[in-house]
Amino acid sequence: MRILYTAATGMAAQELNVQVISNNIANMRTTGYKKQRAAFQDLIYDHVRRVGAQASDQGTILPVGIDLGGGVKTVGTPRLMGQGSLLPTGNELDIAIRGEGFFKIQMPDGTYTYTRDGSFQMDAQGRVVTSQGNPVQPTITIPQSASGLTINSQGQVTVTLPGSTTPTTVGQIGLTRFINKAGLQPIGDNLFTDTPASGTPQDGIASTDGFGDMQQSNLEQANVDPVSEISDLIAAQRAYEMNAKVVSAADQMLQSTSNMFR
Amino acid sequence: MENMLLIGLSRQMVLERQMDVVANNVANVNTSGFKADRSLFEEFLNSRAHEDNFIGRDRRVSYVQDRGTFKDFSQGPVEQTKNPLDVAIEGNGFLVVQTPAGERYTRDGGLQINNLGQLVNVSGYPVLGASGPIVIQQTDKEVTIAADGNITVVEGSNRIDSVRGKLRIVNFADAQKLVKEGSNLYSAGAGTAAQPDTVSRVRQGFIEKSNVNSVAEMSRMIEVTRTYTQISSMLQQQGDLRKSALDRLADVPA
Repeated sequence: MRILYTAATGMAAQELNVQVISNNIANMRTTGYKKQRAAFQDLIYDHVRRVGAQASDQGTILPVGIDLGGGVKTVGTPRLMGQGSLLPTGNELDIAIRGEGFFKIQMPDGTYTYTRDGSFQMDAQGRVVTSQGNPVQPTITIPQSASGLTINSQGQVTVTLPGSTTPTTVGQIGLTRFINKAGLQPIGDNLFTDTPASGTPQDGIASTDGFGDMQQSNLEQANVDPVSEISDLIAAQRAYEMNAKVVSAADQMLQSTSNMFR
Repeated sequence: MENMLLIGLSRQMVLERQMDVVANNVANVNTSGFKADRSLFEEFLNSRAHEDNFIGRDRRVSYVQDRGTFKDFSQGPVEQTKNPLDVAIEGNGFLVVQTPAGERYTRDGGLQINNLGQLVNVSGYPVLGASGPIVIQQTDKEVTIAADGNITVVEGSNRIDSVRGKLRIVNFADAQKLVKEGSNLYSAGAGTAAQPDTVSRVRQGFIEKSNVNSVAEMSRMIEVTRTYTQISSMLQQQGDLRKSALDRLADVPA
């Protein structure tokens, strides 16, 4: 009886849906987090009678066919890259990106990763690093005695050195764009790596050529809307229950068949 | 004598198929752009008993047969997602998707951009514009999709909108002839061809949900199970009746 399997695909799909939603809710307060959405598609159909087939010798054409679907599949969990709201923090090394682009981070093994989480720190050598201690690209070193750290909308970092009244530029934080941001692969720690689906990384300067601008002393909040997540969660749970009801209905039918002739 | 069994079984086979249709609808209750199926039945008359010695004439026996599944193309509820690449179609139109097997049609408007900048559906097949695939360039931002399917972007640091194409929206004289192919795609069946749709509107930032009516499906499911078990018990009673008839007739009085 295929009904059981059809309903089982529905239950599996909704279970995955709940998992995606719960991960979104869990990351509701994660800086720079981008929500995901489970995308479903119907499975292949069994065309028992094909629509448009010849129904009789007189040439009548079947106006409708019999198409039996096999259930549902999950085709992906695309990430929605919409802008999160900015939260002022007052911390001079917090940067939010308003618009396109990612911060480029150098990992200990020399490879690059990308993030929207701009809560940066300073390490022992004065470099601007992520919370894990990996430097932002291009590497920026802030002199120990410097004060008045300013990052403008283009990512230019300026400080005031002791004995000087004019600010000195110590570097410029770059941004990286991808033609298909949703194709980046998350690796945890708010980091992404590029993939063949994302396209090649395009380095550039904030506030130019369609790159977003940088906002100092701000952090980008997760773009998770708790209300819509909760309503999606309820919908997913109800859908799961309905599929479970179909399973028990199919079971009841099978039972009545096996009890038919004793 | 056998007729009752056969008629009952013909109905049960049909009910099982109807349950298949219900199960598929319920499984796809959260599938974007999914259109529910309905079962249609017909009576199938056949004279089964060929006994010429009866005084009365043969009565024809009526079986049940499922004639087809009817696709319910009614508009599904539209949900706001605020995602610029989500489009919902209001009206009877379909988006055109280029697959290796040819043009396919879909109501699932959860679109993406691939590594070439092409606008694709969630399976990665290009969504066609009036003149082939729609390509978004590397420096583009703020994709805007107008109600008529026109796609404009802000290019680089310009403040002027650049046109990137227009979504091709099509409809069909008889949508029932569309064949469900799975993966939210339809192919044009025999005797039907896509024609441009100028009435349907595209809504950016919204997605069309499945049009499965869960209450209706649940009541249909209950109806099917109850009917199925009723027929089972009817057939069982018939078997018992026959059994007791045989027992009594074979019981020779001493």
